[in-house]
Amino acid sequence: MQELGKVHQLIISIFGHNMVFNLEAIAMTWIVFAILILFGFFASRKKSRLPGPLQAMGELFVSQLFALTEDALDKDLAKTYGPMITALFMFLLLSNWIGMIPYLEEPTKDLNTPLSLGLMGFVIAHYAGIKSKGFKTYAKAYFEPIFFMMPLNLIGELAKIVSISFRLFGNIMGGSIIILVVSYLTYSVILPPFLNAFFGLFVGGIQAFVFTMLTVVYISVQVK
Amino acid sequence: MAIDGADIIKAAAFLGAGLSMGLGAIGPGVGEGMAAAKACEAIGKNPKEAGLLTRTMLVGQAVSESTGIYSLVIALLLLFVV
Amino acid sequence: MSNDFQTWVNVAAYIGGGAAMGLGAIGAAIGEGYTAAYANSAISRSPNLSGEIFKSMLVGQAVAESASIFALVIAMVLLFTEFSSQSFLMIFVPLSAGLSIGFGAIGSGVGSGFPAGAACMGISRQPAMSAKLTTNMLIGSAVCQTPAIFALVTSFILLFTDFSSSPVSPTWAAILGAGLASGLGAIGSGLGGGLVAGASCDGIARQPKSATTVTNVMLLGQAVTQTTAIYGLLISFILMFKTFAPTDSIAAAMALLGAGLSIGIGAIGPGIGEGFTAQSAVSSIAKNQKATAEITRVMLVGQAVSESTGIYALVISLVLIFVI
Repeated sequence: MQELGKVHQLIISIFGHNMVFNLEAIAMTWIVFAILILFGFFASRKKSRLPGPLQAMGELFVSQLFALTEDALDKDLAKTYGPMITALFMFLLLSNWIGMIPYLEEPTKDLNTPLSLGLMGFVIAHYAGIKSKGFKTYAKAYFEPIFFMMPLNLIGELAKIVSISFRLFGNIMGGSIIILVVSYLTYSVILPPFLNAFFGLFVGGIQAFVFTMLTVVYISVQVK
Repeated sequence: MAIDGADIIKAAAFLGAGLSMGLGAIGPGVGEGMAAAKACEAIGKNPKEAGLLTRTMLVGQAVSESTGIYSLVIALLLLFVV
Repeated sequence: MSNDFQTWVNVAAYIGGGAAMGLGAIGAAIGEGYTAAYANSAISRSPNLSGEIFKSMLVGQAVAESASIFALVIAMVLLFTEFSSQSFLMIFVPLSAGLSIGFGAIGSGVGSGFPAGAACMGISRQPAMSAKLTTNMLIGSAVCQTPAIFALVTSFILLFTDFSSSPVSPTWAAILGAGLASGLGAIGSGLGGGLVAGASCDGIARQPKSATTVTNVMLLGQAVTQTTAIYGLLISFILMFKTFAPTDSIAAAMALLGAGLSIGIGAIGPGIGEGFTAQSAVSSIAKNQKATAEITRVMLVGQAVSESTGIYALVISLVLIFVI
């Protein structure tokens, strides 16, 4: 049980401040990037009318997620934000599923990954809001219903980052801790493969979708 | 073991933070669920308006979540400020 | 003095056993009563199907009862095991194990009653679908028992882990917090999962053609409803397996107890709320199968947002354990 909460860290001291890098998460993120870039390269290399398996898979992802974005946003906005949403979903899906391969771990298990993705979605949503409504209308929304509600409205907006990132982190981290403890208690007999399938494939897939949907929806709430 | 006043105050603050967030989470959880339930029903009746209904649901949920956020603020104040 | 200590351990074990069975009996009794009430009204509607309905009622009640049987098992273990460990922590272990399964059985017991009642009513409405209805009811109420099983797992781990080498001072609170986190955390998800399963039995009886879609969406909705119970299980695993430094401070102990209470109580509301959402989604899909994609999407988003207060409770628990 010593592995509980243990991470490989690289600590660099700059100007008296300790900068802590979580090596596992960084390496795994790069592996996910590499797989996705290779997938994108091979899926779009030979474009044909009769798509091969990779191209068909890529087209499926792109068309489904663009349709989803168009449902929530307008057609013009969907063109702007569709690629980002598609990339976000594919990254999250692969990140959540990669932990099922032995010796690899989910980068989303480290809070920093979901937190930075959540922060990215937040910044994009507010940028989109300011761009479409103008700064005055955007800022006015914070002073409703009465002006002194401003701090609480602000906290409410910031809490969205907390909830969206901790939802992903809690589910993935929770799954892996539960698998670890159960494997330790049952000496890795029978149960762990089923738990891996449930937490890895099923919960990982749902949470990747929920994170992506919420990012789209936050943008659409700010825009309208 | 001498009982320290500051220690007891801290202990009460920590327990209070847990209770504040725990109890405060019940109401918004149920309420937001009801809002989403009605949104699902409405979309079942009128699937074309899915985008509008989803947005309305989210705004309503954001408002009913505000009491949960007050609990969060109080819990964080108890943990780090008091 | 050692004799005196043994007395306290027995006192804790008996209180724990009583709490386990007493609390654990609440849910199953309500759920079974609900089932029987609906079975009666179903039989009065179509008396010629009484055999079929009676069978379905008994099967449904048997599943609903399993939650309280878990509580009975733990109560028996608590009453008849000799706890010989000399650590003072042994006073808190049986108490926490009893509270965990006691609270944990409430939600699943009540929840399992909903699908069984709906299945009885459904059989009286659509006798041709009785096989499919019974299967769906069994799947739905089995999933609905998962939170109670989480609480049972926590109780067993508490009882069979050797805590004698851990320092008494913060660990007693961690043990108590662990039991409360997964016990209280199971209430909402058990109840919510039952609401979903009930709606799906109802939907299948009204629209037999939608059976497969409705069962799939029910399972999806129940899985999401259970996330808050999983957060409770997560916190109780962390509290049980993390090693804490010995301390004399009361504040450190209270932080761990507060962590368990925060996620335990905080998981109740979101669990029920998510259940409401999935319930409506399942019954709308049964009525209008064409809108399955839209409704499922809104259900997932709505559940995710109603879960956010549960996530704040998780954050507060993690801060209490790791930061304070």
